Amino acid sequence: METINQLIQLFPYAVLGSILAGMICGFLGTFVVSQRVVFLGATLTQVAVAGVAFSFLHAINLEGILTSLLGIKDHSIAHNFEPVFYSLLFAVIVVLIFSQTYKQKILTQDGILGIIFVVAVALRIMFIQKSPIAEVSEVESILKGDILFIGQSQFYTLLGIFIFTLGMFTVFQKQLKFVTFDAESASAHGINSRFWLLIFYIVVGMGISLTTRFVGDVFTFAYLIIPSSIGILLSKKVWQVFLIAVVVGAIIPPISIFLAFKYDFSSGPAAVVTAFILFLLVYLYRKIRGN
Amino acid sequence: MGKKIIEFSDVTIGYGKKAIVENISFSIYENDFVGLVGPNGAGKTTLLRTLLGNLKNLRGEIKRDPLRFGYVPQRDTVQPLLPYTVQDVVMMGRYSLMGLLSKPSKTDYEITSASLEKVGIKHLSSYNYNSLSGGQRQRTLIARALAVEPNILILDEPTNGMDTPSHHSLLNLISELHVEKKLTILLVSHLLSDVANGVKKLILIDKNYFQAGSIEEVLSESNLQKTYNSEFHVNKIDDEYIITSKHRN
Repeated sequence: METINQLIQLFPYAVLGSILAGMICGFLGTFVVSQRVVFLGATLTQVAVAGVAFSFLHAINLEGILTSLLGIKDHSIAHNFEPVFYSLLFAVIVVLIFSQTYKQKILTQDGILGIIFVVAVALRIMFIQKSPIAEVSEVESILKGDILFIGQSQFYTLLGIFIFTLGMFTVFQKQLKFVTFDAESASAHGINSRFWLLIFYIVVGMGISLTTRFVGDVFTFAYLIIPSSIGILLSKKVWQVFLIAVVVGAIIPPISIFLAFKYDFSSGPAAVVTAFILFLLVYLYRKIRGN
Repeated sequence: MGKKIIEFSDVTIGYGKKAIVENISFSIYENDFVGLVGPNGAGKTTLLRTLLGNLKNLRGEIKRDPLRFGYVPQRDTVQPLLPYTVQDVVMMGRYSLMGLLSKPSKTDYEITSASLEKVGIKHLSSYNYNSLSGGQRQRTLIARALAVEPNILILDEPTNGMDTPSHHSLLNLISELHVEKKLTILLVSHLLSDVANGVKKLILIDKNYFQAGSIEEVLSESNLQKTYNSEFHVNKIDDEYIITSKHRN
């Protein structure tokens, strides 16, 4: 109990932010897994990290533009804007490219994502090498994000992403459900699949890139896949899959932070391993009960 | 003969700049039952996508009435990981007819229920789509296409990978929909036997070969030889076409 109190006092936004990040990833992950584009999740996390690395080059003085244009005096807001902006920009460019590939037959979607993945990793390294920040390890730690570093502004950004994502998928659920289920028939039946798939991938890309920025690529990718897989293993209805994925995404991260805090582990990897243990238990339960 | 609803005039189909089949001319009239047949990779699906408006024709002119298509894709292309029920899947057929932000109405539920009844699987409406047999899944996709209340029903290889009883039962259902519901149907298949004894008109397609017309005009040994690059016997016994390969042992 003492540890929990300490944790809440020291890192209140980290605990709440981890819950939101887990819920966002669980929700988006259900679409990512069911669309069989898991590799998209992995690629977008790396693209987002490359975007953050690019921001360290200060190729364009966005911070200056933002402060002068909007009259923002608080430089910390402008300072935080640049990495978020570039991770989002890089992710949106990739999803724009990816959303146009579903009809082409020259390369597989996995092949295209594989190319983007390795290029993103390579660019990240190159951007870091040219970064004015001397310590590569320092840059890496900023790049990778950390649950415990979630502060008030990150928490509200995550809350905004959560409301936006849930809102988009609630308001446009018919269109998004149909195009992710069967895009070709949706087109034949008069729904603009190309447009709605683009919207789908942009929302997914935004969610993944911003979550990656705050909680790291490993956490984001793991929570895209594991909670939704647990949902699929346990559910007989579509809404149950989403509910279980979001609930698992909400519950496991604060428990993991507690365990990490108590046993002195890094919070991100602890959250991944805890989720995996739950996944393993659910999988064994399904196996024992029979499919 | 009903009203002309689709007309292709000297159309070239393909992807990007690559033409697959050239000089395609044919018309579809109301209450037609058309078979589109050709070997695998002949361009049937490309022609279908062009007809649906999902793919632009490279050359020529396509005239289409403002039609509502009911499309039944190849069953293997629809393999959801999420546990959608049969009712969920069929309701998708209504989505394009609802307002952008509207929810399914009582009428939508009545129409999906009637569509399920028409294809004989109303009792499966709460079942998980993934738990169904191939034939039941195909019927679900047909029910979804019927829920659109289409002017024309288009079925892409509906009998692919089915066992013989399911295969015949599905072809009977398609014929019933044409006869009883007066539906215009375009049936795409690589199996000649699937279409020869059901349809009124036939389209034969292969790369750089195209023939369209009434079944009597098109279903000839020479046309089949050009389409399939193989020799066939075509006999008509008791109003039924018997098609056999000349190379059969």
